[in-house]
Amino acid sequence: MSEIRRSIAAIALACVSAMAFAQGGAGDPLAVGRQMLAEDNPGELWVDRGKTLFHQKRGPRNATLEKCDFGLGPGKLEGAFAQLPRYFADTDKVQDLESRLLTCMVEQQGLQREEIIKTRFSNLDRRSDMEALVSFIGSRSNGMKMDVRLSHQKEYDMFKAGEYIFYRRNGPLDFSCATCHTEDGKRIRLQDLPNMTESKQMQAVVATAWPAYRGTHSTVRTMQHRLYDCNWQMRLPDLGFTSDMSVALTTYLNRSGNGGVIQLPGVRR
Amino acid sequence: MKSAKLALLCAPALVALGCASFPDQTTTRTIAEKMVSEAYPGMPAALTQRSAQDNEQRTCSKIGDAKLTSQEAAAVVQSSRAAIKYPASGKLAGDWKVGAKLAYDGGGSRIVGGKVEPRKENGGSCSNCHVLDPRETNAGNVGPSLAGYGAQRGNSDAIVKYTYEKLYDAWAYFPCSNMPRMGHSGYLTPEQITHVVAYLTDPTSPVNRK
Repeated sequence: MSEIRRSIAAIALACVSAMAFAQGGAGDPLAVGRQMLAEDNPGELWVDRGKTLFHQKRGPRNATLEKCDFGLGPGKLEGAFAQLPRYFADTDKVQDLESRLLTCMVEQQGLQREEIIKTRFSNLDRRSDMEALVSFIGSRSNGMKMDVRLSHQKEYDMFKAGEYIFYRRNGPLDFSCATCHTEDGKRIRLQDLPNMTESKQMQAVVATAWPAYRGTHSTVRTMQHRLYDCNWQMRLPDLGFTSDMSVALTTYLNRSGNGGVIQLPGVRR
Repeated sequence: MKSAKLALLCAPALVALGCASFPDQTTTRTIAEKMVSEAYPGMPAALTQRSAQDNEQRTCSKIGDAKLTSQEAAAVVQSSRAAIKYPASGKLAGDWKVGAKLAYDGGGSRIVGGKVEPRKENGGSCSNCHVLDPRETNAGNVGPSLAGYGAQRGNSDAIVKYTYEKLYDAWAYFPCSNMPRMGHSGYLTPEQITHVVAYLTDPTSPVNRK
């Protein structure tokens, strides 16, 4: 039985790229696959592990993350993801979910910043606590709408910087984000590319990724990983984890998805 | 410039009043460029340098619906045209079979852990964005289909030269197009480009077979 389930999941995963932006209604042949994935999302395992990690006393200070403030008050997770990135007074910075987690893991649990950064993305040899925590906290906004607000000056600055960087061409291939993401129906080989200037598509994209379970990676990937991976394809150097540039792009993109109903972690190719 | 300074001076006051707002263009550029310069901590300078823009890239980074002015377009065409280099042999159409391999090779020059992937040469990455051989289905559509390129245009010296120059630096013909300046940046060598030219124009190439 589990064999069958696994092969169904594999077939469904293979369809993900094709269905990601097919705006289907009743006549959409891919709707079946999409439904299957929604019911059998391996990302749920990351949510469970993230929940355990969140409530576990860890690090030299033997502390949980229950006092971490993600913008709505210490330990309040419901709806927190929907409003990220946002400005935090204690760090005087605009932070995304991963940046904020990094702050709390270092300051409240006393974990080593460099160690957390080393394991920010999992590989075949090691799991990433970050991927699990992001899955858990992201899922606590499920059913709510993306609602990134701009009120502090630094939030306005981040949004505009993100937009600027989105259109900024650089690297040996002259690419910007906009090269691939400003027209409808475009693909790199067979991989669909969302038009990130189109709010309907952005609502669907932002509210269901990232975090998302990636079939080809056999793990949940985060927004920081998505940006790192795009930079890699653009032949740019390794993007600094939680760098201001990454948070600026996330602010710009997440706000473009405002109104999208959150369902995390999503599933992607 | 004056207004930018004024905006900078006023920003804290506005924040205090709760009147935060979008920064102007100059301020945005300053903030964003600082972010880019700090985005790659611990990376070798030679690699971080890839994120620095040349003049043409800067001109071609229009935000949103902003359009290139005709003067800007002319300047990009002019500098692109002036920088085109040709292979030592003078032969602009090489071996289409070598070109075929390059066209479907999307690798090269990628960086992991601060190191460039070890390879003899970069692939052309053509099929990432273009249909070439019409029988190959795994092709992108960011750029136009090039199936039948030579069958439609022939392979006269003029077409071969145009194709070489277009691949070397597309901006010499279409300023700021999405097409990377493959030769200009040194991503592909002049010799590699001649092989891709052959793949596109040679009547016996799969691109042109019915």
